[in-house]
Amino acid sequence: MKPYDAIRARLDRGDLVVLDGAIGTEILRRDLSWADHQVLAFPDKIRSIHEDYLRAGADVLSTNTFQLARRCFASHFRDHAHMRHVGAPGLDRKADTLLAAAVNLAKEARSRVGRPAAIAGAVTTLEWCFRPDLAPSPEEMREEYREIMTTMASAGADLILLETVNSIAEAKVGLEAARSAGLPCWVGFVCDEKGRLFTGETLAEAERALAPGKPDAILLNCAPPADAAAGLRELRAARKGPCGIYPHIGRFDPPEWLFTEEFPPDRYLDEARRWREMGAAVIGGCCGTSPDHIARLAGGLAPKKTS
Amino acid sequence: MPPYDRIRRTLESGGVVLLDGAMGSELVRRGVRWRGNGLRTSPEEVQALHEEYLAAGADVIRTNTFQLNPRTVLNVFRSREHMRHIGAPDLETRAQDLTRKAVEVALAARERSGREAAIAGVLSPLEHCFRPDLSPPEKEAEAEHAEMAAILAGAGADLLVLESMNTIAEARAAARAASAMHLPIWASFVLGPEGDLLSREKLEDAVRAMESMGVDVVAVNCSPPVDVGAAVKRLRQATKRPIGAYAHVGKFDPPSWKFEFHPQFSATEEWPPEKYRDAAGAWRKAGAAAIGGCCGTGPDHVRALREGMR
Repeated sequence: MKPYDAIRARLDRGDLVVLDGAIGTEILRRDLSWADHQVLAFPDKIRSIHEDYLRAGADVLSTNTFQLARRCFASHFRDHAHMRHVGAPGLDRKADTLLAAAVNLAKEARSRVGRPAAIAGAVTTLEWCFRPDLAPSPEEMREEYREIMTTMASAGADLILLETVNSIAEAKVGLEAARSAGLPCWVGFVCDEKGRLFTGETLAEAERALAPGKPDAILLNCAPPADAAAGLRELRAARKGPCGIYPHIGRFDPPEWLFTEEFPPDRYLDEARRWREMGAAVIGGCCGTSPDHIARLAGGLAPKKTS
Repeated sequence: MPPYDRIRRTLESGGVVLLDGAMGSELVRRGVRWRGNGLRTSPEEVQALHEEYLAAGADVIRTNTFQLNPRTVLNVFRSREHMRHIGAPDLETRAQDLTRKAVEVALAARERSGREAAIAGVLSPLEHCFRPDLSPPEKEAEAEHAEMAAILAGAGADLLVLESMNTIAEARAAARAASAMHLPIWASFVLGPEGDLLSREKLEDAVRAMESMGVDVVAVNCSPPVDVGAAVKRLRQATKRPIGAYAHVGKFDPPSWKFEFHPQFSATEEWPPEKYRDAAGAWRKAGAAAIGGCCGTGPDHVRALREGMR
């Protein structure tokens, strides 16, 4: 049985699936810079974050690949000619190397801990996640997502977690690319206080537009708990299939994160109980959350569907 | 005597003014975590590096304010409202506060060194220095550069240097903003692989535009030494004003993040201090009067330049 089959069966029954918490901000909390995702420089530290989430009870591990794409490197240069002229050799292939290495670290953590989790290749908007105005053309998007998904699939990801997506257009292209790579796909949207996408589109519109691509779950993420919950309400009103939520806690302090005491694990669990009542099947944490938060969710939320 | 007077005199008498080397890439090489240019969490390391450049013989030290401006902070949010909603509480004044801090540590370093160096407040492209396509409209750019110029001048900079400028329009906007401070202005451009500005505008056109703005020194920087050498010759042909040169060494090796310019350079060992000194000697012969180092260089490079000037 493939690792995702067990997850799918649970979602079909309406049971809870626990997603892990933050990776990027957890790297910062463990006193490393986030530059280069630290996949090659500190593989042990990254693997141990995955292991901590598994021991906390996560059913799905997301890879340490937030916004990792060829474009991350290319955007630092005027164009290819400039990159070749002043850039370090191999920047063109570096994203691919890091993506594969990141999936491997999650796989290694899984075999070390011995818990049958599914590994979600985390894929974010090609340009900045909070700036839908910067999104590339659909043609460029298609090509770049195809590359990323192919790498994720051949490295052994069990599903794709498109996260912090800010427009329906980009979600559609990402979803199609995941499907072409033969992987299940969850789509996570960032939303505002009213539960709308950053383009002003509604989650009902998103559900309708994505339905033909059959997303395995639609989620809300990387917004404060109240905002993500507003999005979840909108989504549930429009969608029968699996829904999920993993908000961020604390404050974005670019290029890092400000950890606050506003949502300690106990309070986060209280919120999560409400999300579960609202119909969330997948619950986890985004920026600012830690293995302690996930342990409280895994230990405190009813695993079976109650109503 | 005001610190810049000595510099002006040197330039007028045909002497050479020694600039410092890189701040950002050297701080990153030393393991300083690249957030807020290191000024929030490691100001003592920033000051220590200024002191090393002064000890190496720099006549001008540049503030560690490269790409430190409100726009780079705002750019990672959907809007100002979004920044207020999910961002850390002091982000609206973060770049401004750190810019003041940057001048403060440069002043403190000079004080401790006991040297009469001039402090150059650095203004750089508002968007990524290697992306001329992102440069904002001239009017917008002027207002934003004016805010930073006023902070640098108010905190005690002796001159303002427009650094790694990648379009003529933004350099002109920054020069106009800087000129309201009544401080000497230097303007320096980053070169593209073709040898002109990164925007592909002609180097000579940039010189003409800067001359008309009353800029004291026109320079080229953050390009490989060989390119800088070729550009110095063209600058010499294009103007009678003092010209400057400070190349980067090694290769720009940005990490996988999507934030602003991250000054990480690798393979810098290909340009050890003596080799850099020899290259700079040729720039000097070709007429460069202000010489220093950009990304990838460190205090040893500046020390070698000083020795080469003896």
